[in-house]
Amino acid sequence: MNRRDPLLPNAHIVARREYAERVSSRLFHLSTVLLAVLAVLVAFAPLFVRLADRGTVSVVAVASTDDALADRSIPVIDGILNGSGAGAAGTFRLERRVDADAALAELADGSLQAVLVAVREPTGRLSFAIHAGESLGDDRLQQLSVAAFGVAVLDYSAANPIGGFQMPVLELLRSGGVGEGGEPIAGAEFASRRILGIVFVVLIFITLVIYGMWVAAGVVAEKTSRVMELMISAASARQLIVGKVVGIGLAGLTQAVCILVPAVAALAIEDAVAVAILGPGPSVAPSLAGLTPALLGAYLAFFVLGFALYALVYAAAGSLVSRAEDLQMLALPLSLVAIAGYFLAVMSLTGGTTGLIRFASYVPFWSPFVMLTRLTVGRVEPWEVVLAFALLIAAIGVVGAVAVRVYAAGVLLYGQRPSLRMLVAAVRGA
Amino acid sequence: MWLQLPGARPQRRRPGPSGQAVDRATRAILPSMSLVIDRVTKRFGPVVALDAMAFEVPRGQVFGFLGANGAGKTTTMRIALGALRADAGRITWGGTPTDALPRRTFGYLPEERGLYPRMTVLQQLTYFAGLYGLPRDLAVREARAWLARFRVPEFADRRAEQLSKGNQQKVQFLAAILHDPQVLLMDEPFTGLDPVNVSLLREAFLELRDRGKTLVFSTHQMEMAEAMCESVAIVDRGRVVVGGTLREVKRSTGRRMIRIGIEADHRLEWLATDVPGARVIRPGIDRSDVELEPGTEPDAVLAAAIARGLRVSHFELVDPSLEQVFIDHVGRPADEEFTLAASGAPDASAAPGSSAGSESESAA
Repeated sequence: MNRRDPLLPNAHIVARREYAERVSSRLFHLSTVLLAVLAVLVAFAPLFVRLADRGTVSVVAVASTDDALADRSIPVIDGILNGSGAGAAGTFRLERRVDADAALAELADGSLQAVLVAVREPTGRLSFAIHAGESLGDDRLQQLSVAAFGVAVLDYSAANPIGGFQMPVLELLRSGGVGEGGEPIAGAEFASRRILGIVFVVLIFITLVIYGMWVAAGVVAEKTSRVMELMISAASARQLIVGKVVGIGLAGLTQAVCILVPAVAALAIEDAVAVAILGPGPSVAPSLAGLTPALLGAYLAFFVLGFALYALVYAAAGSLVSRAEDLQMLALPLSLVAIAGYFLAVMSLTGGTTGLIRFASYVPFWSPFVMLTRLTVGRVEPWEVVLAFALLIAAIGVVGAVAVRVYAAGVLLYGQRPSLRMLVAAVRGA
Repeated sequence: MWLQLPGARPQRRRPGPSGQAVDRATRAILPSMSLVIDRVTKRFGPVVALDAMAFEVPRGQVFGFLGANGAGKTTTMRIALGALRADAGRITWGGTPTDALPRRTFGYLPEERGLYPRMTVLQQLTYFAGLYGLPRDLAVREARAWLARFRVPEFADRRAEQLSKGNQQKVQFLAAILHDPQVLLMDEPFTGLDPVNVSLLREAFLELRDRGKTLVFSTHQMEMAEAMCESVAIVDRGRVVVGGTLREVKRSTGRRMIRIGIEADHRLEWLATDVPGARVIRPGIDRSDVELEPGTEPDAVLAAAIARGLRVSHFELVDPSLEQVFIDHVGRPADEEFTLAASGAPDASAAPGSSAGSESESAA
């Protein structure tokens, strides 16, 4: 095509129509409301867990060969965990064990929910190892660690009226998770960031795949209704693709905001609700401490760029089929690429940064997932981020140029799904 | 004398030199005036869709682009619009390649018709006009005026999916013309329309032509082309078989025909014995069409009738129908498929005035 139509105003006109059509559809309203309700329910999930958990008693063994230490620890921990209210049924029941290994065996067979191994080192420093069973919730594990800390403080004040305070060694070990001996759990900030990472990955995945599919389905619908025939004479393929991607992307963003705002609001009021229902207690809601403006900015950037990349491919894919039924098949490879990115991202959240993860975080089709989670859990060099963005933007340029040609050729092909050779010939001729 | 066509304007401008397969002379005369399809070739894989397709559409005319399905009509139009690229050759309008001209120069009514099912008619029309650069208020005004012209002002706020196929087609036609294009390319515009809408559309065509627009429409319905076009090109397998003014094309086969009416004799059985070179090809009760072999003069038929003492009520020299011309050149009728499928589709030849029009001369 010799004609170089400027992108505007036609891309804007197309985008406006696409946005209006999506946002005004009943399906959009319905799915937005449903997803928003779902998101709020998920946000309140910890509260529901706490509510359901209210009656259960966790049996915790304090294992120590040091009788004095054990005798001092148990009432302190009991006091911290169950409060001083004598009549109230405690959520923790504390038992004494001497042999740590025997206690861990009990933990393994489920008769104990946690074992706190207390040792006084020769220097006088206390060492606690908390082994948590699978049935012990995160919140209770945290309470247990706080109680152990309390033991150390009281021990210090009893033994060393004067002199330097020694921080106790505090290790939280969860059994049944990854690895043989359990995996160390970092602080609350990191936990928060990891939850955020999962939320981001899920959102990005939904955004790219679902809204990308909207783009493809929109193209197919235009082909099926044959309105495309009118469109190709009124606007260029570039204007049509860009308009469609932007319009539907904004519609997707609108939906995402409509889902996220109530969910975040739910998180913000969750503790207050918990206090109202359950009475005072430790925080229920996952902390939003990890949600920094920089991270939000990165999420937005990866959303925009990642969506652009995927949507361009989806648009090209949509232009190649004439019937909605054929779209799923053609879109499957792209969905698989996205799913791979999703799993890589989840891996990077739990398994640390391996070579594969590092590589995947630069690859344009995966960086919106993997680099985002790497950023979220804070294990990334600035140049890596720059590289990922540069590659992503370059890929959008290349994929966009190809997508426009495929689209220009594809929208005129009807009937059978075109063979690769036909397609190449058509792309050349477009 | 041109036979007056129903619906045509009273004073018909004499068609200019036209429709010829482009030769150097015509291009020199009309370089800046016409739509020139200049030896355009287009392949789709092994299929040659256009094989040095060449013809010229004079500005301000209604031009018929005639051919069976697969002859290359749609591909030619798509190349003219810049939606496809030619492998060789080019298409120019006023001397400029069409894909270098602004999109609003052209209006296109595709054969495969469709609208956005959920948008209202007015929304669609202003949307398409907007893409062509027409301001919204002007588009709304034009759209309403045209809907009123087409006697469907109430469609403005209806969704496309609520309209019948024929009415959707009218909306699509409006989508193609609302931005006031100089050249209107229409792919089978009459297919699927009922007679009333056919005549509405014809009137619109003629009005646009009178406003100086150039209209090119493809069709395989020869009666339609015969009734409306000043020039035509007959295409087959990606090539122009014959092109020019309607009269030139009709005379291109060398067939000579007369139309004769004899009082109280419609069988004309004497003709075969008295004039061996004459053959009745279209018998009729009132008048019959008779083809004359080379060497047989029309006068011979008239003389034979008078010699037999018959009363001649009608006698004229006529050109063959476009249908006949098409078959002569291409070897088969253009609308074979149309005839087969015609049970569902309204027969366009039933449209008022569409079948009567053939140019003819009275026998001095």
